[in-house]
Amino acid sequence: MGSGGLVRKAAVLGTGVMGPRIAAHLANADVPVVLFGMSPASGIPGADPVQALETLKKTDRGAFVSRERGAYVDTATYEDDLDQLASCDLIIEAIAEDWNAKQDLYTKIAPHIRADAIVASNTSGLSITKLAGLLPDALRPHFCGVHFFNPPRMMALIELIPGAATDPAMLDRLESWLVTRLGKSIVRAKDTQSFIANRVGLFSILAIMHHTQALGLGLDEADALTGTLINRPKTATFRTADMIGLDTLATVTDVQHRTLPDDPWRAHFRSPDWFAGLIAKGALGLKTKGGVYRRVGKAIEVVDIASGDYRPSGTPASDAVTAIMRTRDPVERFAKLRASDDKHAQFVWAVLRDLFHYCAYHLGDIADSVREVDFAMRWGWGWSTGPFETWQAGGWTALADAIQQDIDAGKAMASVPLPAWATARDGVYQDGGAYSPAQDAPVGRSTLPVYQRQLFPDAVAGERFDEGETLHETASVRLWRLPKIDPGIALLSFKSKMHSLEKGVVDGIHEAVALAEADFDGLVVWHKPPFGVGANLAELLDFVRAGDWASVEAAVAHFQGATKALRHAQVPTVAAVDGMAFGGGAEVAMHAAHRVLGLECAIGLVEAGVGLIPAGGGCKEMVRRASELARMRPQRDPWEDIQKAFRNIIRGATSRGAVHAQGMGYALPGDTVRFNPHEVPYVAIKTARSLADAGYVPPLPGRGIKVVGAPGRATLRMELVNLRDGGFMSAHDYLVSDTAAMVLCGGDVDPGTLVDEDWLLGLERRQFVALTQTEPTQQRMAHMLETGKPLRN
Amino acid sequence: MTRQVQDAYIVAAARLPIGRRNGYYKTTRPDDMLAHAIKTILAQVPEIDPALIGDVVGGCALPEAEQGLNVTRMGAMMAGLPASVPGVQVNRFCSSGLQAVAMAADRIRTGDEDIMIGCGTETMSMVTMLGNKVVLNPAIYDNPRTFGMAMGMGLTAENVAERWEVSRDDQDAFALESHRRAVAGIQNGSFQAETAAYPVTTRTADLASGEVREAERIVKDDEGARPDINLEKLAKLRPVFAANGSVTAGNASQMSDGAGAVLMVSEKVLKQHNLTPLARFVSFAVKGVPPEIMGIGPIEAIPAALGKAGLKQDDLDWIELNEAFAAQALAVIRTCGLDPAKVNPLGGAIATGHPLGATGAVKSATVVHALKRENLKYGMVTMCIGHGMGAAGIFEAA
Repeated sequence: MGSGGLVRKAAVLGTGVMGPRIAAHLANADVPVVLFGMSPASGIPGADPVQALETLKKTDRGAFVSRERGAYVDTATYEDDLDQLASCDLIIEAIAEDWNAKQDLYTKIAPHIRADAIVASNTSGLSITKLAGLLPDALRPHFCGVHFFNPPRMMALIELIPGAATDPAMLDRLESWLVTRLGKSIVRAKDTQSFIANRVGLFSILAIMHHTQALGLGLDEADALTGTLINRPKTATFRTADMIGLDTLATVTDVQHRTLPDDPWRAHFRSPDWFAGLIAKGALGLKTKGGVYRRVGKAIEVVDIASGDYRPSGTPASDAVTAIMRTRDPVERFAKLRASDDKHAQFVWAVLRDLFHYCAYHLGDIADSVREVDFAMRWGWGWSTGPFETWQAGGWTALADAIQQDIDAGKAMASVPLPAWATARDGVYQDGGAYSPAQDAPVGRSTLPVYQRQLFPDAVAGERFDEGETLHETASVRLWRLPKIDPGIALLSFKSKMHSLEKGVVDGIHEAVALAEADFDGLVVWHKPPFGVGANLAELLDFVRAGDWASVEAAVAHFQGATKALRHAQVPTVAAVDGMAFGGGAEVAMHAAHRVLGLECAIGLVEAGVGLIPAGGGCKEMVRRASELARMRPQRDPWEDIQKAFRNIIRGATSRGAVHAQGMGYALPGDTVRFNPHEVPYVAIKTARSLADAGYVPPLPGRGIKVVGAPGRATLRMELVNLRDGGFMSAHDYLVSDTAAMVLCGGDVDPGTLVDEDWLLGLERRQFVALTQTEPTQQRMAHMLETGKPLRN
Repeated sequence: MTRQVQDAYIVAAARLPIGRRNGYYKTTRPDDMLAHAIKTILAQVPEIDPALIGDVVGGCALPEAEQGLNVTRMGAMMAGLPASVPGVQVNRFCSSGLQAVAMAADRIRTGDEDIMIGCGTETMSMVTMLGNKVVLNPAIYDNPRTFGMAMGMGLTAENVAERWEVSRDDQDAFALESHRRAVAGIQNGSFQAETAAYPVTTRTADLASGEVREAERIVKDDEGARPDINLEKLAKLRPVFAANGSVTAGNASQMSDGAGAVLMVSEKVLKQHNLTPLARFVSFAVKGVPPEIMGIGPIEAIPAALGKAGLKQDDLDWIELNEAFAAQALAVIRTCGLDPAKVNPLGGAIATGHPLGATGAVKSATVVHALKRENLKYGMVTMCIGHGMGAAGIFEAA
């Protein structure tokens, strides 16, 4: 048996921030869960699991992929229900980081746990080996750390931490299950304080605090310099701190100060006075509506380190450092950074230098290789590049020399030298391996079979993966196959910017279908995210500006032909969708025979934003589906689905994930949802193969499609009148929406009229052209093209 | 003056506590609610033989699904009336209940009948605003005269707020006062005589035992009134119907469930059984206005009803002006010059709710009991009506 059946039922112990959310994500993955807490009689605030679950459902819309999943989390109490643990294959402990509380709990639960069950702690600060000691000997091989990041549904990372007695085979099975079933990205960490991501992440914050104060910068300035400028999230450092909670950060800092007596940076494991001052005032971050930052009306204020008072925020990064960071070549970029006498540039260098120094010094203690550190920071803290890959890109040896010079000159935060391997090597990523201090050599990726399902995992330092054989390639598309996976399935990948549906791509779809029908058993449309962002507006605008309406209509017809070809191809077509599939991208996905969807993909017909309606078969498909669903109902009335499609289309609504897309009708109930987006292309190929082998027969073009006609449009228009006259919608929004209503109702015909696909496509096409002839739509298209943002006119 | 051969007297009037949408009566059917109201008034006058009731006229604004078919006939049968007593369902949206009372009174006033029931019921929990399926006539958009039929009630309230210059602050203050009066009314028992406590029963699945779990809860007071409301909370609510508007969920009527009924008889029946009536039905008028400003309907209906009765506005002692929206209620109060102290002394629909087709019957019960309790002479029930209408009915203490 593979890892698929590893966990039939799970228990999560703990009702804090993480427990209910971990439980929710297990339920998302179709694992029934029991969430344990204390009975309300305990009187401990927040400990009641029923309450905790209710609060989660009310306050965190994203915790569950659909409301229905909430029904698969049961609640239980330690007082009354411990016998339920016997039915659980995986027990995740996520209670407060309090040794005595954990000791009590582990003692209490141990007798109820099945001998073959896996027990894991979500601790972020306690030793896994020590925790294992709280369990009977027999359970210890089945105990490890699984450290989730918040929010567990969205954050890819789980740190998997073995204790001294953990069975390696169990760990492999659990890792495989977490990867494919929960969709998580695993970093194996050593059992050291705070593991990898938070150890490095907290140091990074402390280093930034240190240099901010040392250079006399404002905290908002520090954020301007430590966000996207250095490939980190927009929330940078102190907005992130507000999100984490300043009290939490202070606690973790204290813990590290206490538990890492030999850390050369220990002197810095203290909250600065200004930070402690905020905590003393009760300004703890977002949870108290004020921390390092606070919102005053529309303005955002930042605390001033010196005075402790708030002042307006928004100090930008200096022009000098901005220019330096735009330097394309990273080697040159670092050289300029170090050479600059700009205060901001010096700050950025100092922050990165001390980070590199810290990571290099501790690498051997905390991780097997540099890969774990880089991935931990990417997946757990949202950095686009980890410390070691950044260092290597900047020129390993040159930077190692520079760091050592700064250490020698007393500029670094600690005086310990770089480890010998760091100064001896000329890089840490070499030949597909990542440097491991224990081996003193580069080591490869995990060889667990589960990773064979990931054809294109996240790459570090220019890693390449098998890109198969090219069958046909143009400037816009690549048609290829992966003989190692299945030589009989063709893959089509878009090469256009943001994978827009430019003419070359549309040509490519036609060609790909023809080729697949001739020589292959199936066709998969896949490329790295985004799946596609709609039509190429520049091409359309050229025709529009020339008043060449025939060409506009021909371009639309060409695209309609492409989506039709996908839908009616003689071989199965599978859309492998990860990331955004908007507008034309959504229409391509909708027309494939089957969809394999990454859990968090966003699908939507968003054309209204640029003053257009879906015309690549998007409206047609929604009408066809509504009519098809209606056939199963006694009244055979497609109205409700038409109304739903209309509301989604006029709002340009996009799905919050694959399951939501199914609910919206953009994906179908039988489509495949993969929790791990890296599995999408592999599963798509396998799906195409299985459809082909099962004797795939394409659907005939729809006939007898029942439409709601003119009264339906009149009823939809009622909503528009209220939106327009209520000032929620412009006159042009009204026109665009009313046009969508007309198409979705099948034209101004009697209700119940039967039409065919070509009738609907004709409506789409002509109405699309009519909208391009209006000035406000032209302005919207031009504005989107120039600014990337929608124009409200 | 209305020509009639005899007067219609109200001898009993009762209504259920009004429930918030998906509140008390989430799973209670509208025909059951109506049956309870009818049973209550019949029990109050045991002298009357139910078999002699000429007809049951019942209002319902969205007569479909659970309140479809003929909900009045259904409710009458459920109440135990003999099969020989008929029932009719009438719809004039928000005035349906008052319309039903007026039509029932008219059957007596023409001399055709001597005993009638006027009533109304509505579940907004089960049948949503506008009903389960709307299908409009495309032609309404072709004519500016009919275009307003496409406007939602909230937007028409915004139109009224703008044209009659009713500020957000005034609307919120009005809403607050409505809650204050309703809460006070509940606390001092002013609603007691008119209210028929309802035993709400629920049947849910106990998945663990596999048994049906039955529960009963007796509801006694209107569910919507909030003692904890204040101007700050009201001011925080965002306009719902217009981006820069003033109408919010806080200064508009609540969506509700409820039912009410009144029993009316001729003077002949009064004497025959030596009954003491609560009130005499005096007059009724309904008028049309442009649909896009439907909220000002009472401005036309009030003078018309007064005219038919030969009364002056000052003769009115107690006015139940349905608070569809504070905006339209204030526009009507100001335009007609109604005395705010006499309008909704126990609060209105903003606080206690507006179960559309039931409201007219519910407020008729409120008004006739108020006249008796407070020893007043004339009372009125009036309301605006969707698609642009207004209705008013006048009662005199007897």
